[in-house]
Parts: sequence; structure tokens; C-alpha cells
Amino acid sequence: MGSPLALAPLLAVTAGALAVLLLEAFLRKKDSEAPAALTVAALLTAGFFTVLSWGEPGLGAFGGRLVLDPLARFLIVIFVALGVFVALMGLKYAARMGLALGPFCGLLLLAVAGLMIMVSTGDWLVVFLGLEVLSVSSYALTGLRLRDRTSSEAAAKYFLMGSFAAAFFVFGLALVFGTSGRLELGSGVPGAAALAGLGLIVSALFFKIAVAPFHMWAPDVYEGAPTPVTVFLTIAPKAAGLAVLLRALSPILRAEGAAAVLSPALSAAAVLTMFAGNLAALRQTSLKRLLAYSSIAHSGYLLVAVVARDAAGLVFYAAVYLFMNAGAFGVLIALSGRGFERTSLDDIAGLGRRKPWLAAPLAIFLLSLAGFPPTAGFLAKFYVFGAAVREGHIALTVAAVLASLVSVAYYLKVIVAMYMREGEAEQEPWLEEPALYLVVFLCLFGVVELGLWPGNLLTIIRQALPGFF
Amino acid sequence: MSAFASALPLVSLVTFLPLAGAVLLVFIRGESLKAVRAAALAVSLLTFALSLFLFFGFDGASGLPEFVERASWLGRGLDYHVGVDGLSLFLVLLAAFLTPIALLSSWRAVGDRVKEFSVFMLLLETGMIGVFVSLNLFLFYVFWEAMLIPMYFLIGIWGGPRRVYATMKFVLFTMFGSLLMLVGVFVLHAAHHQATGGYSLAIADLAGLALSPALQTWLFLGFGLAFAIKVPLFPLHTWLPDAHVEAPTAASVLLAAVLLKMGAYGFLRLGLPLFPLAAASFAPALSVLAAVGIVYGGLMALIQKDMKSLVAYSSVSHMGLVMLAVFSLNFEATEGAIYQMLNHGLSTGALFLCVGILYERTHTRKIADHGGAAARMPVFAGIFLVVMLSSAGLPGLNGFAGEILCFFGVFAANKALAAVSVTTVILSAAYLLWLYRRVLLGPLKDPGDPRLRDLDKRELAYLVPIIVLIVFMGLFPGVFLRKLDASVSRYLDAVKTPAAATLGLAPAPERGQTAENRAELER
Repeated sequence: MGSPLALAPLLAVTAGALAVLLLEAFLRKKDSEAPAALTVAALLTAGFFTVLSWGEPGLGAFGGRLVLDPLARFLIVIFVALGVFVALMGLKYAARMGLALGPFCGLLLLAVAGLMIMVSTGDWLVVFLGLEVLSVSSYALTGLRLRDRTSSEAAAKYFLMGSFAAAFFVFGLALVFGTSGRLELGSGVPGAAALAGLGLIVSALFFKIAVAPFHMWAPDVYEGAPTPVTVFLTIAPKAAGLAVLLRALSPILRAEGAAAVLSPALSAAAVLTMFAGNLAALRQTSLKRLLAYSSIAHSGYLLVAVVARDAAGLVFYAAVYLFMNAGAFGVLIALSGRGFERTSLDDIAGLGRRKPWLAAPLAIFLLSLAGFPPTAGFLAKFYVFGAAVREGHIALTVAAVLASLVSVAYYLKVIVAMYMREGEAEQEPWLEEPALYLVVFLCLFGVVELGLWPGNLLTIIRQALPGFF
Repeated sequence: MSAFASALPLVSLVTFLPLAGAVLLVFIRGESLKAVRAAALAVSLLTFALSLFLFFGFDGASGLPEFVERASWLGRGLDYHVGVDGLSLFLVLLAAFLTPIALLSSWRAVGDRVKEFSVFMLLLETGMIGVFVSLNLFLFYVFWEAMLIPMYFLIGIWGGPRRVYATMKFVLFTMFGSLLMLVGVFVLHAAHHQATGGYSLAIADLAGLALSPALQTWLFLGFGLAFAIKVPLFPLHTWLPDAHVEAPTAASVLLAAVLLKMGAYGFLRLGLPLFPLAAASFAPALSVLAAVGIVYGGLMALIQKDMKSLVAYSSVSHMGLVMLAVFSLNFEATEGAIYQMLNHGLSTGALFLCVGILYERTHTRKIADHGGAAARMPVFAGIFLVVMLSSAGLPGLNGFAGEILCFFGVFAANKALAAVSVTTVILSAAYLLWLYRRVLLGPLKDPGDPRLRDLDKRELAYLVPIIVLIVFMGLFPGVFLRKLDASVSRYLDAVKTPAAATLGLAPAPERGQTAENRAELER
């Protein structure tokens, strides 16, 4: 059976999910906040058990099918933080938009369980298991605004495309297993059939991560989903999928033969993704859709970390991206009204005057997303791109910084709208959402703290992930 | 004095006091404009007072950085490492001197969102000073980029009608260069690790790397582009007139006086000493661009109809001379370039202030709308005259001392370009005197205009210190140049020795042992 500690985080989250869904049946009050409280408790328990096992190099369960190694632990902590943020953001949002809080929280926990399975295994079959748990919950989460057409359309689109991706994955798996007889991540690819199988699996993961040219679904889904779900979708599947890619591909990228094909292909996908996301974002007039395209571009930057085989950079970037992206969407949620969202650039015109205490954090999140020092977004890019140069991918890095330049234009466009244009003078009241403001504040703290004094986190990451390769 | 100076982290205080002031301002109530303005001014004056301790405490005999502070920050060579040497000392002083002046000049011009304005001005001051005091390349880059943010807001919120276009152009132009420089930073970090096995981005350590000529060429192109855009060197100057015309006066002053110097400073601090071989091979071409900029900027200034864009193009011309002197790579030219940077900072800053004063009264910057203002504003006319003559390089004022050094140095390096560069004297006299005649002399354009009153006490308070300094720096350049000598000699050694060694002109035994590293890097 292995160490019980290895399973404890997963069990905590799964038990929490079942409890939340059962609780729904017994709750009298429709607008009770108990599911969210239970969700946060379950996630924090999982986080506690993860941190508890920090000193151990790697804990296994199920005969090594599930392994809690340093990379898995970092990502689980990130997922826990993300889950807590999303639950807190959704608390009042659910009431305002007519979402059922119980299913929202239950599905969220199940999705987090799927993420945990994905990142803490070295076996393709288990990855698929986690991926499907994640995907099915994500489809349902996307369509949770039942009376909203865009939400349902997004869910249908996500489901259809996601099913294709799952089919790709399984077929690729069959090819790999059929030719090599092995299911471990990172095992070599003998022959063309296995390489094709690996290619199919990678495409399926690219779909989940929203890497071009498999990203077409992403803007519609991110825009149609309820905003707290968008926060989840723009961060979690990316981080998990990239971690799987890193585990699977870094041994192959180091080997001589396959790397000659794989490395340029990954680099090309990264460049394509960055430019596809950034160029499309330039033309957006809805902030939500703009951030959706921006998150595609960030998939590209994160993919650079995979090309550079930089696990530490990937973890740091994912942590920073969690704060800046969740923060930006958090401000967007704080702007929404009862039953509708305010997402267009016209809605936020003059926000710097109307609501300076929301506009200033959003400006800082956007500057961080654009990669301006001294915010954390700069350091994240600095470490990932620096690793790429160290590995000799200079052309890729030049393309990446030029893509960042394009992104500066649209992030600043939002700031122009907030501070350099005048909006209608009408004063909307502040929303009574302490939980949401807490999340925005925590994100702001994270973006500033990790930009100026990331020393502690960097030390922990460097200690935990030195011998990853 | 020196005991006091050594007991305090003076450089950090000067750098971060404005930042602390900005944070403080965020939390005081913005309704009382008086309190906000007074607080911002007090912080910037205190910063200037502290920077004077740097000036008087600076020894300058060794040519090495003084007041050095070093602390580990992010690890792997990304350290906090600051100090001042002859190249940077006066630029720090210039930024600290002009920020209170710019703040004071904005008291009437900026009436909207005064608190935010003051916060961004103080953040800008920290950014500017930080660039000059950084001795670590990473820290330098952080300040270099971070400083864009306050300038972006200053132009974009308080600027003229086309402010959004101008500010986006400013940011995107500057970032294009600096992002390529960032790739260069990564390459240097990796090269240093390969050569020594350790991690460092200290500029002094990087200068010790013997990089291959090919690598130097690529890196020089990356760094040089960033600096050339900032200077701006012809033909990369197109963002400058837009930014200047749209920026509020206070931002224009700092943009012209300090931000443009960062480009030239970047060449002096990084571009030339880190990549001496590439610098030597690119210097002739860049000198020609600089000389073209001198003539082009001067001619463009002649035909401008807007006072601000006239001053902006005069900056292109004057910075061309500074860059020509920098690329001449000899002692006189380098000292002249540094001195001329300060002179240009003072005189162009003051020119923008004067234009701002006229604009506040008449609400037009069109030259054709003005005329004969001297009759109603005699004190202003006198001050404008001194500023203008300083900018045109009249002997006895500061501009002359710097220009003559530049000309001597450039002449020693290249006689043809020296001949071209001397036209700046004629051109700047022409466009400035003509501007003066059209705006201040002649019959009064609108005799009934009640707004044309002479300078008040506040305006005198920020113009007179500049005038005093303009005269003082013209009469006693030795006071300043003395502090530069040793640093400039060291700098020139770093730039010229490797180039000479490669050409076989001088023996350089200590470079021989690095041949292995070089071969390794080339692979």
C-alpha cells in the first residue's frame, strides 16, 4: 500500500468533495455558505498533509503508481491555494449569478483531486485517470450558469473538443504501449509508431494547456465560463499538463536522437502559442476575453520552461501566474453586478477615478502579467527565459521577449482605459464581499512579495528541485 | 563629515527616500493639495540634501566606485550592489537637483489628481537614481525598466491631447530595445558561469570576461540598441518629439534632463567597457549617426512651429554631440561628454520650464501666437536669455565648457566629423536666437492680454538655482571635472586596452590566460 501520507492530500480532497455533495442534500437554507467553508477546510487539510511530508524525498502508494515527490508537492500547494481562492471568489458570486454553491464547490474539489492525481504519478494510465476526473468536472463547472447561453455553449464546446483530445490521448497511449510495452512517463520512444503515439499524447495535453494550434476552444470557454471557473481553468490544467509534459519529455529532450525532432517542435509550438495569444489579445474589447487570450500567451511562456527542462522555473512561474491572474480576474469579479458581469473596456473606463482601490491592484496585476519589474511577473519570466538561454535556445528567447513586447501593448491598453479615459460618473456601490477582497489582497501581496523578496521561496524551490534532472 | 557619511548607507537612502515618500503619500488624504505638494517637495528636497553629502564626500582619486553597498538579494549573482563613481555621481546629483524643481514647477500646471502625480514623480526619481547607482547588471535592468512605469503614467494622465499615443510609443520603443538587452543579460550570466563556474552579474566582474569577438558583436547590438533608442540616436529618435510635446512640463524636464542621459550613461557604463572589441568596430558607424543627428536635429529645430518640439529636436542635436564625444574614445571627449550631459540637463530642463511658464500664461505653445513678451515680463526675458545662451554654448556659461572639451576630443579622433559637429554651435545659436526674437522681442502680440505677468516668487525659486548653477559650472568647471578624472581614465583603460591588444598594438599578458575560456565560449 505504501505510505499513508502519500495518499492523505488526495483523500482529504476527495472526502471533502463527497461531503460537500452530500451536504447539499441535507441543507435547508438555499444560500448557506457551508459548502464553501467545507471546501476551504478540505483543501487546507490537503495542503497541511502535503507540507507535513516536505522532508521526505518521495513517498509512494499503490506500488509506486502514485508518488508524492517535490515537484508534485509544489504543484499541489499551488492547486490548494488556487482552490481556496476560487472557492472564496465564488462565494458571493454564486449567489449573485444564480449558481448553486454546493455543486460548484463539489466539482471544484473533484477537479483539484484530478489535478493532484495528474501531477503525482509517473504512469501514463494514471495521468489519463487524473485528466479525465479533471476534465469531466471542468465541463460541468463551465456550464454551471444554467440560464446563461454563453455558459452552456462554452460547456458544450469544451466537452466536444475535450472528448476528441481524450480520444487522441487513449489512441496515443495504445500506440506507445503496443510498441514498447511500457507506460512510464519519460521512457524512450523506440521507433516511429511510438513517436507518433507520443505525438498524439502530447497533442492531447497541448489541448488541455491551450497551446497553439490546439487553443481554438480556449477563448470561448474562458469567456463563457463563470469568472471564478475561468480563473481555475486558466491556471490549473495548464500547470498540471505542463508538469506532466516536463516529466515525460525532459529525459527524451536530454537524449540525442528524439530531441532533434522534439525540441524544435516544442519551441515552434511555444512561439506559435505566444504570438497567437498576444496578437489576438490586441484586438479584444472585453477584458475577460483579453485575459483569456493573455492566458494562452502565458501557456507559451510556460512551455519555454519545458523546452529548457527547468522544473524550478516552471513551479515559480506557475506560482506567480496564480497570483497575478487570479488577482486580475478577482478585480473583474468585484466589478460585476447582480446577474451580469461587467467585462468590457468601456465598463472600466475611468475606474482609476471611480474606484482607485480596485484600479490600482488591477494595474499592478497587469504590469506583472506584462513582465515589468519590480513585480513578480518580471522575475518569473526572467528565470524561465534565462534557463532557456542557458540551454542554448537563444532564438526561442528572442521570440519570447518580442512576444512580451506585443503583450505590453494590450495590458497597457487596459490601464489606458482605467486611468487615461473618462468613464460615466455613475457610482456603483461597493460589493459586500470580504472574501473576494481578501483574495485580491493576497494576490497583490504575492505579486509584490515574490517580485521583491522571493528569496525564501527560491531557496525552498532550489533545495527541493536541484536533482530533478 | 566622512565619518557621518560612512556610517549611513547614503546611496540607498538617496535612492529609496523618494520611494518611501511616495508610499507615504499614498496614505495621506489627497484633498489637501497644499499638504500633498509640500510633502512631495519636502521629500525631494531632503533627497537632494542627502545627495550633496555624496558630492562632498566623494573622493574620486581611485576612480573606483565609492559609497559601495552590497547585499545578497535573489542569489545566483542577482545582488543588491550600489555605489557611485565619476561616471554616475553627477547624474545622480542632476536627478536629485531637478526633481524638486520639476515638482515646484507643476504647482499651478497640475491641478488634477495631484497626489497621484506627486507619487509618480517620486517613483520616477527613485527609478532614475537607481539606474545610475546600480553596479549590478540585474539591478540596473530592474531600475531601467521599472522607471518606464511612472513616466508612462505621467505622460498618459497629465499630458496633452495626443498623450495616449505618445506614451504608448514611448513605452513600446523603449521596451523593444530593453527586451533585447534582457536576452543579452541572460547570455552574459551564462557566459560568466561558463567562464568562472560562479554566478555574478556585477558589472565589474562582467567587464573582466574575455568574450569572443562574435559574441561581443551580438551583445553590443542588443545593449547598444536599447541605449541608442533612449539617447535617442538618429534615426531612432522618432518617439522623442511626440513624448516631449505631449508630456506635462515637469515630466518633459525630467525626460530631457535625466532620462535621455541614461542612454549615453548605458554606453559608458556597459556598452563600451563590457564589449570593447565590438565597441571599437562599431564606433565609426555610430559616430557618423551621431554627427547626422547633430545636423538633422538642428535643422529640424529650425523649422518647428511648436516651442516644445523645437526644444525636443534641439535635444536630438545636443545629445548627438554627446554621443559623438562618447564614441571618440579619448580623455577630453569622454570628460566633455559627461560634462555636456549635465549642461544639457540643466539648460534643456530650464528651457522646458520657460516654455511651460509661457504656456501656463497663454495656453498655447505655437511660436506664431507669441511675440513681444519681454515688454511685460522683463525678469523672465532675462532668465530665458541666460538659459538660451547656455544651451547655445556662450563662453562663460556651462555649455561652452562642455562643448569645447567635446570638440577637442572629437577633433583628435576624427577631423571630418569634428567639422560637422561644430555646426551645432551655429545651428543652436540660429534656432534659439530666432525663437527668442519671435517669442520675446518685437511688438507685443496682444497688448491687452492680462495673463502676461512676470515671474512670481515660486517661479523664481525654481529658476534661479538653475541660473546660478549654469554660471557657476561655466566659470569653475574644474570643481566638477576634477572628480571625474580618475574614473574616466579607468573607463578608457577598460575600453581601449582589449582593442589595442587584439590589434597587436600593446602587449597584454593577463589576457593570454583567458584564451581557453574564449575558445570554450566560441563553441
